[in-house]
Amino acid sequence: MTQTVQAVWGGILFGSVYGLMALGLTLVWGAVRLLNLAHGAIFVVGAYAAYWVTSSLHLPILVALPIGVLAAAAFAYAMHVGFIRPVLGKPGFDNATIIATVGISIAVSAAALLIFNPEYKVVPAVLSGYFIVAGVQITNQGLLVIGTSLALFALVYLYLTYTRHGMAIRAVSQQQQAASLMSIPVERTYGLVIAISGGLAGVAGVLLSPFFFLSPNSGFNPMIQALIVTIFGGLGSIRGALVAGFVLGIFESFVEVFYGVAWAQPGVFLLIILMLIVRPNGLFGIGEVRRL
Amino acid sequence: MLEVKGLTAGYAGSEVLHGIDLTVKDGEGVIVLGPNGHGKTTLLRAITGLLPPRSGSVLLDEREITRWRPDVIAAAGVVHIPQGDLLFPDMTVLENLVMGAYLRATWSERNQRLGRVYELFPWLKERGRQLARTLSGGERRMLALGRGLMSKAKILLIDEPSLGLAPLTTEQIYASIRRVKESGMAILLADENANHVAGLADRVYLLETGVLVREGPAEKMLQDKALLESYLG
Repeated sequence: MTQTVQAVWGGILFGSVYGLMALGLTLVWGAVRLLNLAHGAIFVVGAYAAYWVTSSLHLPILVALPIGVLAAAAFAYAMHVGFIRPVLGKPGFDNATIIATVGISIAVSAAALLIFNPEYKVVPAVLSGYFIVAGVQITNQGLLVIGTSLALFALVYLYLTYTRHGMAIRAVSQQQQAASLMSIPVERTYGLVIAISGGLAGVAGVLLSPFFFLSPNSGFNPMIQALIVTIFGGLGSIRGALVAGFVLGIFESFVEVFYGVAWAQPGVFLLIILMLIVRPNGLFGIGEVRRL
Repeated sequence: MLEVKGLTAGYAGSEVLHGIDLTVKDGEGVIVLGPNGHGKTTLLRAITGLLPPRSGSVLLDEREITRWRPDVIAAAGVVHIPQGDLLFPDMTVLENLVMGAYLRATWSERNQRLGRVYELFPWLKERGRQLARTLSGGERRMLALGRGLMSKAKILLIDEPSLGLAPLTTEQIYASIRRVKESGMAILLADENANHVAGLADRVYLLETGVLVREGPAEKMLQDKALLESYLG
């Protein structure tokens, strides 16, 4: 009983973070057709910014959270201006941006080492306290992470469906030339999507870091998990990111609790391989047809 | 209102348009007639910036708009109904229409604008929730036209509205374009068929291998069957 509750709780908690990270990746893929391998670095930028605000400025984490999110969004936007926008529409866009985003990731972890130091950092939790359910410790911070992730999914969905800028993002992702004929500024819209995606990674970075210690490479694992989630859920699919985040989180958590940590990652990859044999375009991705 | 001077344009390695001079006055209906593959689509794409011209200039109300970005040219009032319709396939009919009113100035009055488009194509209203990619060819063409009309256009550039449509649907499309023109809108329409444009055309240009070879008032040009036959076959 305790083991099952433990597996479900851990699965939902980490599944919601995988989903949140995957949401940013899938948005950028859906709209810009950019595989952003710097997504983990953006996560780290948000987390370190929040750490700096709490440790050096001695401000509460509730102030550090929005600052971390803004820092991550601004960093992502700067990356767009510096490295993505110049190669938009050029031949070799895919290779150039994959190399650029990997390079940015390396640069960010090196910069974090230089500016801070190799010691693990502690980012304070927004909520303290916990309660016990069937012998399992349910932290309030964990509930906050799950709630925030679900709320952000809902918010992004409403934004894309009902607002002028959100609809423009979908228009650009579905038919870029027609979007520009409707007076929609395509490159600015790309910048908007990348900044939103960065902000989402920043939220994940600040809220997840209290569960671990923060280090320059903290973003790597969440990004790899999010990549798996987006492939599983279908690249470009928001619903896919949400469902696949929880499916993979809970699956991984069950394998971990019942078969040991060593089997968690291989188990996830086995599941992915099986799923890709049955549905090559992911759970909800319908290949090239499916856009935001 | 729209003035094209010495426009040349093309794709990697090959020039398609060799120095086009063309004007469209306020409220005027101008037709560019020419066979397939002679540069009609390229001409419209060069004017609206989808294919930046190599030389020459495009002026809107005496203001130079050459090499502006397509979204800025559209915002200035040159609205292009492209070949192939280019609808947003996974958006609904209503969402497609509303995107035509993307600019802040038109967005706030999108509901009045919808009403005007529904007057032209009443079926769009009942089918608002249908996804654009499930529409038939004729419906797609009408939606593309309706979407263009949601904007604050000064001039509509329409690329071969009869392409791939059944005769009855074609007739319907041209009838609605005539109504748009009667409301005072300037129109530049590219076509390879002279049969539908009566009542819409004030002036006609003939385009052959990237050059405008003849120009004249519609009543004279469209009567000259021998001339049309020699160019359009």
